[in-house]
Amino acid sequence: MPDWSAQVHDRLRHLDLPTKERQEVVAELAAHLEDLYEEQMRKGLSEPEARENVISEIVRWRELAKDIRRAKLEDEGIMNARTKQLWLPGLVSLATSMVFLTVLIQISMQPRYLGRSPLQMVLLPWMALLPLCGAGGAFLSRSGGGYRWARLAAGLFPTIILFVLGSILVITHLIVPAQPRLWYGSLAVTLGIVLPTAALLPGALPFLRQGKHGTRSAAS
Amino acid sequence: MPKRIRSKIARGSAELAILALLAEQPLYGFEISKRIDERTGGILCFALASLYPMLYDLEKRGWVKGRWEANQNGRDRRYYCLTPSGRKELVPLRREWNFFFQALDRLAGVANA
Repeated sequence: MPDWSAQVHDRLRHLDLPTKERQEVVAELAAHLEDLYEEQMRKGLSEPEARENVISEIVRWRELAKDIRRAKLEDEGIMNARTKQLWLPGLVSLATSMVFLTVLIQISMQPRYLGRSPLQMVLLPWMALLPLCGAGGAFLSRSGGGYRWARLAAGLFPTIILFVLGSILVITHLIVPAQPRLWYGSLAVTLGIVLPTAALLPGALPFLRQGKHGTRSAAS
Repeated sequence: MPKRIRSKIARGSAELAILALLAEQPLYGFEISKRIDERTGGILCFALASLYPMLYDLEKRGWVKGRWEANQNGRDRRYYCLTPSGRKELVPLRREWNFFFQALDRLAGVANA
């Protein structure tokens, strides 16, 4: 008897579900193929013929993996999958990072802190808070059933936006000659994504691991 | 017929077929596909690739519930049973299909074909 479980497991490697759920699907489909195989054998087919017939039952495994994922995870609600997995978590990450930055700037402008440097009052505390934003974005994406790339993108959303805006400014200044200070400012924004990215990443990383969906139970 | 309408009809008929079978008794996937095949004389046929996404979708909607149990051969199989919500859903679904076939019959005389 062929090891149907191993065959299904191998062919459904694209199935992106929480580990437990994935194992259950593999076991269920393997059981189906096992029953089908035995039925073919009872009909008098040889072992290779029966095996061939069973394998040909599913041609498009990748499509099947997608259909199963869609059936198990995707809600038919107001928000589509991309909104739940990328845009909303990304915007939450961006909004919280901007709120932190604004609050820190407001605090640094209070008279009693006027002598202190922006690095000490704004940049370093902001860097310390950014992992929370990265974690929040990646967590929400994972809760929405997001793939690993979506979780990463949601976690790093503030720096992605910063990079896009900075790039637009740089390109604009290249096309339309502007004051050198603006050009250098744009370049600084573009290059300045390195530090925030380094700060957001540690927060997002824990939510990228573990069976692609971590401990999350089926969402949509 | 546009593909979307055709797939909606196929999907709707599949839902009705599965829910109607599970209303009689809990069954596992292979049994469901066998029963549908036998009872429709092979006209409706559910391959693995179409059956399980449908079952998972019905389960997500809370109309069926799956649980692992040993079958008569002592092997673990995931049996699906109809939930009260699924049973409630089956009544209007049957009615809708009845209306659909009556309408189609009035239009195209399919019953006497």
